[in-house]
Order: sequence, then C-alpha cells, then structure tokens
Amino acid sequence: MANYSTNQFKNGLKLMLDGNPCSIVNNEIVKPGKGQVFNRVKFKDLITGKTLIKTFKSGESLENADVMELDLQYLYNDSSAWNFMDPDSFEQYAIDGTAMSDTKGYLVEQDMCTVTLWNDNPISVIPPNHVILEVFDTDPGLKGDTTGTGGKPATMNTGVVVQVPLFVSIGDKIKVDTRTNEYTGRV
Amino acid sequence: MMRNALIKRQRVIQKIRQFFEQQKVLEVQTLTLLNTPTSDVYIDSISSTVNVDIGMQNTQYLHASPELGMKELLAQGSGDIYQICQVFRDNEYGEHNSNEFTLLEYYRLGFDIYQLMDDMVSLLQVLGIKDEVQRFSYAQVFSQYADIDILNADIDSLKIIAEKLGLTADFAWIEGLQMLLFVHLIEPKLKELPLCFIYDYPKSQSALAKVEGQVAHRFELYLDGVEVANGYDELQTKSEYEQVFMHETAKREQLGKFIPPVDVSFLSKLDNSLPQCAGVAIGINRLLTQIS
Repeated sequence: MANYSTNQFKNGLKLMLDGNPCSIVNNEIVKPGKGQVFNRVKFKDLITGKTLIKTFKSGESLENADVMELDLQYLYNDSSAWNFMDPDSFEQYAIDGTAMSDTKGYLVEQDMCTVTLWNDNPISVIPPNHVILEVFDTDPGLKGDTTGTGGKPATMNTGVVVQVPLFVSIGDKIKVDTRTNEYTGRV
Repeated sequence: MMRNALIKRQRVIQKIRQFFEQQKVLEVQTLTLLNTPTSDVYIDSISSTVNVDIGMQNTQYLHASPELGMKELLAQGSGDIYQICQVFRDNEYGEHNSNEFTLLEYYRLGFDIYQLMDDMVSLLQVLGIKDEVQRFSYAQVFSQYADIDILNADIDSLKIIAEKLGLTADFAWIEGLQMLLFVHLIEPKLKELPLCFIYDYPKSQSALAKVEGQVAHRFELYLDGVEVANGYDELQTKSEYEQVFMHETAKREQLGKFIPPVDVSFLSKLDNSLPQCAGVAIGINRLLTQIS
C-alpha cells in the first residue's frame, strides 16, 4: 500500500487516518517564524462524514486509502439491501447498513448515484442533487393558498419528511434538493 | 485589476517610508549576496556559484533576512534603521510561503519589545489596519485556549498531550512540541482575532532574543491567525551571538542538514556590542493581503 508524505498532500487525496478512510478537505502549510514546517490538515471521514483536523510535521506520511467512486444506477430494494448497477459493466452491487443511512430517503429507481467503495466495500451513497418524490402523507392544505408562504411537513413515499408549501397535497410529485432536504418545486 | 494591486503596494510602501521618515528612522540597504549562509536551524539559504568563467569560483548565498547586515550597521553606530527588501529561502512553499518574498525589517534603539509592539500598532494604523489590539503572553494563550502550563511543562508531558490529540510526539527538542501544539491548538483560535500579539516565548525558542527567567523577550504579530511579524529584544554581545550560532549549527548537524560555517565576518563587527535595541521583521506580502 502506497504512503503519501505531507509534501504530497492535496485536497481530495484519500488517506487512512486512525483506521478510517478520510479525504483531505484543506491542507494548510504553517511554518512558524523560527520553527519547522507543519501541515494543519482538515479531513472528512468518509465513513462517519465527520470532519477532523490533525497537524503533522513535515515528512510524516499516511497510508493511501483504497477508495474508488463509481456512478451507479439504483435498481430496486429487495428488503435485505438496496441494489445498484454499473450501467457500463452491468455489474450489480447490493448495499445496506450505514452506507445507506443518509441516502435511502432520496432513492428513486433508475436515478444515478455516486457510490464510494473502500477496499471494494460501499461506504457511502450520494444521490443526485435533485430528486422527484411523491407525497405519501401530509395535512390537507388551506384552500386558496397558492402563494407558498408558510409550510407544513410532508412524508414522501421514500419515508423522508420534507417541509412543503401549504398547497401541496397527497399524491403530488415534488422536486427535493437532497443536500439540504428542501422543497424546490412541484412537478 | 493587476494595476490596482500595484497601486496598493506602492501606497503601502510609501506610507511605511513616510512613517519612518517622521520618526527619523534611516532607510538602509545591506548586501543581498553573502559569503555565509544563515545558521538558523529551520531556514535554508539559496546558494549561487559565481565567477566561474573568470577562474575565481566562489559560492555566495542570497540573504534569507537582512538581519545580520543591519546589525553590523547598528554595532557601528547607525542609530535607528529600517530596510525593505526581497529575501530568499530554500524549501519553502504553500499558501503563505514562497522562496522569495518582501521583508520590512526595522530596529529601534532603546526600545524593549513592549515599546516596539506599540510602535507597530501605530504603523499598522497608518496603513489602515485599525482593529482592536489583543496581547497575550505565550503562557497566557496556552493557559486560556488549551489549559496547558506551557512554561513549566517538560518534554515528556508535552509528548503525552500530543499523543492524546493523535499527533506525532516524535520530536528531539521541546520547542518542536511547543510549536506543534501552538499550530494545532492555538493558531486556529487566533483566526478569530483580527490583530493579536503573542509575546514572551519559552526560552527554548529564544533564537536571537534576550532571555529573562523562563521567557525570551520575543513577539509575533498575528493578523487573522496568520503570522505576519517576528520581533526581538536583540542580543547585544559577540559572545551571545557566538553561542547562538554554535547552538544552531549543532542542531542542524543533528538533523543532518547542511552545516554553515561560522559567520566570522559578522562576529568581528561585534567587537563593539550592539546598542540595546528591539527589532522586528514584517512579511510585506502577508501584510498586503490584510490591507484593503
């Protein structure tokens, strides 16, 4: 396994830190006026999603993380896992557990997702930035309210709850920004 | 846009010159090409071989700072002086570092570091940096932000702290650990302060500053968490400088770095000691990014 030294650090590099694969978010080189060079590095833990900061002295090295990103198409859920397919190779991936925890509420069949593999195991699935979901349940809207002021919670067919304008009703298809969980329009 | 940056730079340099002219501080220019590289443990000089074609081959070094040249002038009775010049350092890169940058260095006779910090505040105000001034001693800032008694902590206790933070503890000298913890724990907090002086460093980081008890009378200026200036209550006697050079050379040797010869030419100029003075080096490129 290759090691990367501090002077090879750059944003996006995937490295092993305390047993978890991490991605460099920011690499700041600090040289005190009368001291040696340090790298103050902000990482994103690719499994937990948390950011953390570590400081290294120049010349320290970290092990490369065997991380790969794939664009996979979501096919179906078969109660044990979510199934994806590489549209080029037709290879299928069954993904479950924590990799799906933040994602499952936005999965729409046929949508393309970015799947991160670490040592060939999926560790995260990122849905498209915008998905179209169907409203499964919400309180009846106030008659005549079409301005979109105010709002109410609505449960989507995928289970995720999104704040929607009062005029949205059950069965409507709406567009949701998956990064912010915000309603962006009715389809 | 590019011309605007040039105009800003010119305006700042002009204001600096006016500031010193008003205070009767003399502008000087010392040699850029030196016979001896710096002995500073963590600064590497850039060398150049000259006069090859005329059979007088000689290695010269671009100055990493005008410090020693200016101190020769001080020892010879120059009085208050300043210099704005390009300096050159090998093995520097990154957002805030490069192999060549502009330094303003100045020395005030009879000043201690506290007076020099006040003087710098006046200079910064002239340049349009009028933020609230915060001052912390090195011990205070460690106590406040990290709950560490930095002046009394020995190398082993600092190693334990570094390891608990998941950082390397592989340092031969205590100052390496002090600096690691400063960079990791303190500097990010300083980013929240627009203008902050840190003063009275542990004596392990004395460099060319006077030591009194546990502390060296040094200061650094941080603007938005970026170190912009480094000032000392300057050592005065030849034997003090000799001692520091020997100490630094020994450390370079231990690190397997290039070992510079002793700067005998500089030391010979110190037969008359330096007058009591405080001096500071200010990174002009870093300063300019803080001025609108």
